Amino acid sequence: MASKGIQIPLSQLVRGQRATVECSALDALPADHRCLLAAMGMGEKCEVRVCRAGTPCIVQIDRTRLGLPRDVAERILVTLLESPRP
Amino acid sequence: MTLRVALLGNPNTGKSTLFNRLCGLRSKTANFPGSTVSHNVGRCVTRSGEALDIIDLPGIYSLRLELPESRLCADCLDGRIADGRPDATLIVLDANNLPRNLQFAASALRRGLPSVIAINMADLAQRRGLIIDEVAATESLGVPVIAISARTGQGVDRLLDHLTKTATRAQIPHPAIALPTSEPGSTASAVWAAETFARIAAHPPPSDAVEMTIHDRLDAAFTHPLLGILCFALMMSLLFASIYWLAQFPMEGVDGIFGWVGAIIAHGLPPGPLQDLVVHGVVGGVAATVIFLPQIVLLFFLLALLEDSGYLARAAFAVDRTMRRFGLPGQAFMPLLSSHACALPGIMATRLIPDPRDRLATILVAPFMSCSARVPVYALLTSMLFAGRPLAAGLAFTACYLLGALAGLGTAAVLRRTILKGPTLPMMLELPDYRLPSIRTALTIAVDRGFLFLKNAGSVILSIAIVMWWLSAYPKSPLAPEVVALELRAADLESTDFAAAQQLRHDAIRLDERNQQSGSFAGQLGRTLEPLFAPMGLDRQLTVAVLTSFLAREVFTTTVFVMAGAGTDAEGTEAGTLAAIRSAKRDDGQPLFTPPTSAALLVFFVLAMQCLPTLVVVAKETGSWRWPLLQFVYMTALAYGAAFLVYRLMT
Repeated sequence: MASKGIQIPLSQLVRGQRATVECSALDALPADHRCLLAAMGMGEKCEVRVCRAGTPCIVQIDRTRLGLPRDVAERILVTLLESPRP
Repeated sequence: MTLRVALLGNPNTGKSTLFNRLCGLRSKTANFPGSTVSHNVGRCVTRSGEALDIIDLPGIYSLRLELPESRLCADCLDGRIADGRPDATLIVLDANNLPRNLQFAASALRRGLPSVIAINMADLAQRRGLIIDEVAATESLGVPVIAISARTGQGVDRLLDHLTKTATRAQIPHPAIALPTSEPGSTASAVWAAETFARIAAHPPPSDAVEMTIHDRLDAAFTHPLLGILCFALMMSLLFASIYWLAQFPMEGVDGIFGWVGAIIAHGLPPGPLQDLVVHGVVGGVAATVIFLPQIVLLFFLLALLEDSGYLARAAFAVDRTMRRFGLPGQAFMPLLSSHACALPGIMATRLIPDPRDRLATILVAPFMSCSARVPVYALLTSMLFAGRPLAAGLAFTACYLLGALAGLGTAAVLRRTILKGPTLPMMLELPDYRLPSIRTALTIAVDRGFLFLKNAGSVILSIAIVMWWLSAYPKSPLAPEVVALELRAADLESTDFAAAQQLRHDAIRLDERNQQSGSFAGQLGRTLEPLFAPMGLDRQLTVAVLTSFLAREVFTTTVFVMAGAGTDAEGTEAGTLAAIRSAKRDDGQPLFTPPTSAALLVFFVLAMQCLPTLVVVAKETGSWRWPLLQFVYMTALAYGAAFLVYRLMT
């Protein structure tokens, strides 16, 4: 399980964990993916909660739920905020 | 002059529900000039009698993304397509997801068009404790903001009043309002949206922890690699089985109505060619297709309910893994699903697939998906195979859909590994909230599809029914010596054994009908080409039915009805449409539909490319006749080979 405060790929989080998307991390994605993700709500420093780990990786940003394939989730670096709730 | 209003918004904001609420059945599907991307235009009449033409644009996340749907919306707002710039925009936001939706609203307002903002699903937000302050929102955004519920109609009349005023007076957004200049998703835009949200949301929503956990579990199940696929297969099987169960009652009603109309006309017209044309050609021919209207309406009604419930987006992910193995992107799911209604909008929807190779592969396999034109044929043939066993017929129906999908995926895999080699783009999709689907919206969609089907039945199918009646009724053949002999024997027996005489007369009539059919233009054509289709068990009548179905698949049932001279059953009494087709005979007296023939035909119809308009659209979309030609030859050859195999295996 990922530790708090360390930058890790989004794909390594488990269900219930919360994290902040690192702005520079999105640069690893192709430009069209990056723009679409940002417009969908996954912008710089946004907070995500993992609803489902694996493929698809389902994350919640505010009230929006996004489904991402594993290869995209692997290229998004996040900083863990807290451990999953019991 | 009618005012034109563009309906804009993020996906899943209830735009289509609002469109259906405003326009109901007064909408039509159209294409923008110079583009094949379809959109709905509906006429809406306000309380003050003002007419508004509402243009339902696709849901987008930003007007500046390099995506086809974003370009289309931007072009529409800038007047580069359609009839110049719209008179106003109606921007629909989701009350439950305001911070992100506000960012989109700001980018749309910057276009400077007279605008009104509808904050939809305000009733659901209110239940979560979020109350929209309309006055503060109007002040913050510089345009009228109305909280509505498109589903219940709450606030819609007020929205229309504001929309009419804004469009009529050409009120542009207040120039003093400072909107972010960056696009949705940027830090500046997100900060502005958060501040605006804080001003317009009267009470912040309470925690959604419990609700989200339930959503998490449902998502985990529906998108699970194995469970998700099983759920999808179960859902589709239930859907098709329920179509069979529920549709049989209205189908009997439709059949009864056409039978009654035919009997009235037969009573009113003297026996002869005109009576035959109207009763068997027009009424019987159209009935053979229209009888399946209840199944089509039910299919779209149930699919609309599934989509509105939020399930289909999860199903897209469940099937995405499978699709990617076959070289198709997740974005191909919706075009392929749309192709189950009709390949034409499905192929047009492939414009939303960014990669050209992905798009071409999707276009080429889209006609494998079982469209609504195949439904009457599937329904007829599965009922021939499993008469009186609706569950088995429902499963066979599902198997047809699966076979079509598998053939499409298999073909895609071959294409993506050969002539269309290249990487597949990943699917990133928003998953809408689960909710109780709107019966009203589903009904509107189903009735709309039903009207389209009836319109087709009233034009193309009616014309083909008349032509087929003429081809199968002329030229008239002289009475055969066997018929004359039967009639003479009947006359001899009349005084001693009346029942036997009647039977002989009936046999004479049936024999003459078969001779007339055989000697007709259609019979001659069928006999000439029969050797081509005989390996899959078809006689001359079914050969002609299959040939005419290359114009439009659903014509098959009509042609079979007209060609088989149906209308009387074995006992010589008037029979229902399906019963009449079921009792139809070949020239040698054998049943027209044997189980091997029905199964072979079913497989043929699942796989064959039998739609002229689809070929034309594929040529238009790919910019070349090479692709539709390849598609036609490949699909027809595959269908023929598979049908031949099935027939041989079953005999």
